[in-house]
Amino acid sequence: MELSDADLLARVLVDGDQHAFGELVRRHQSPVRGLLRQLTRTDVELADDLAQETFIRAYKNIASFRGEAKFSTWLYRIAYNCFREHARKRTELVGIDEEQWESQPDPSTADPALRQDLMSALAQLPLHERTAVVLCCQNGLSHDEAARVLDIPLGTVKTNVLRGREKLKKMLAAWTK
Amino acid sequence: MNDPLDELLDARLRDETAYIDDDGFTARVMRELPVRPRSFQLQRAIIILAAAIVSVVVAYFASGEATFVREGFMRLSALPAVEMLALVFIYGLTTMVGGAWAALARTRDPLG
Repeated sequence: MELSDADLLARVLVDGDQHAFGELVRRHQSPVRGLLRQLTRTDVELADDLAQETFIRAYKNIASFRGEAKFSTWLYRIAYNCFREHARKRTELVGIDEEQWESQPDPSTADPALRQDLMSALAQLPLHERTAVVLCCQNGLSHDEAARVLDIPLGTVKTNVLRGREKLKKMLAAWTK
Repeated sequence: MNDPLDELLDARLRDETAYIDDDGFTARVMRELPVRPRSFQLQRAIIILAAAIVSVVVAYFASGEATFVREGFMRLSALPAVEMLALVFIYGLTTMVGGAWAALARTRDPLG
């Protein structure tokens, strides 16, 4: 018998059951780490550090989860905020602002041969489009859920997904030829 | 008809969502979790126990020092041996079934 996320959350909230929280981490670690790997342009170590921070924050603030959205959506939101904070700190430390960071070419895409690969193509999208595409097209979130995660208007999410997809299609057009 | 490039893109995006092995990640998170203060479990147990004791005391005095309990025991002790045996058997069986059910429920719990 597998407990639902809601049952596990209830155990964490009522009994402070860490085993239940461990089960939630096991269930959601892959998509959260996957999202962060995309956001950090496959910097696995940094992505895992941010994912760890995400789950610790979730644990500390679990009482504030009201169950209006799915637990995974709530986690994505925390993960995205962790990433944004990291990016902000990086700006303060080394003086690279987010736009500059976004426009910096991903080292893994330096080889033109790799450009046909989807991961490389994704890494070339600006952060806001990449995040929207990863959340909606890869992780299967609805536009509405993605808007909650990113805390931006629904229309902006739709535009970012559309633009991101168009750019990907252009970059990957050679595949169909 | 859907654009073939759209279909290709969707398929590739889905393919890229490969499962990431836990590989010790959960254990690392669990080690870093802050210690939460114990929940209200103990306080709850104490409150329930205290409420039960108070209820028993109130019931004892409210029922004329529980004369009905004494009478009940006297009636029981006057039962024929066969009926007494059946009563003990039923009581034992009920307790055993209850215990077994509780044990099974505990082993079915995936986190237990």
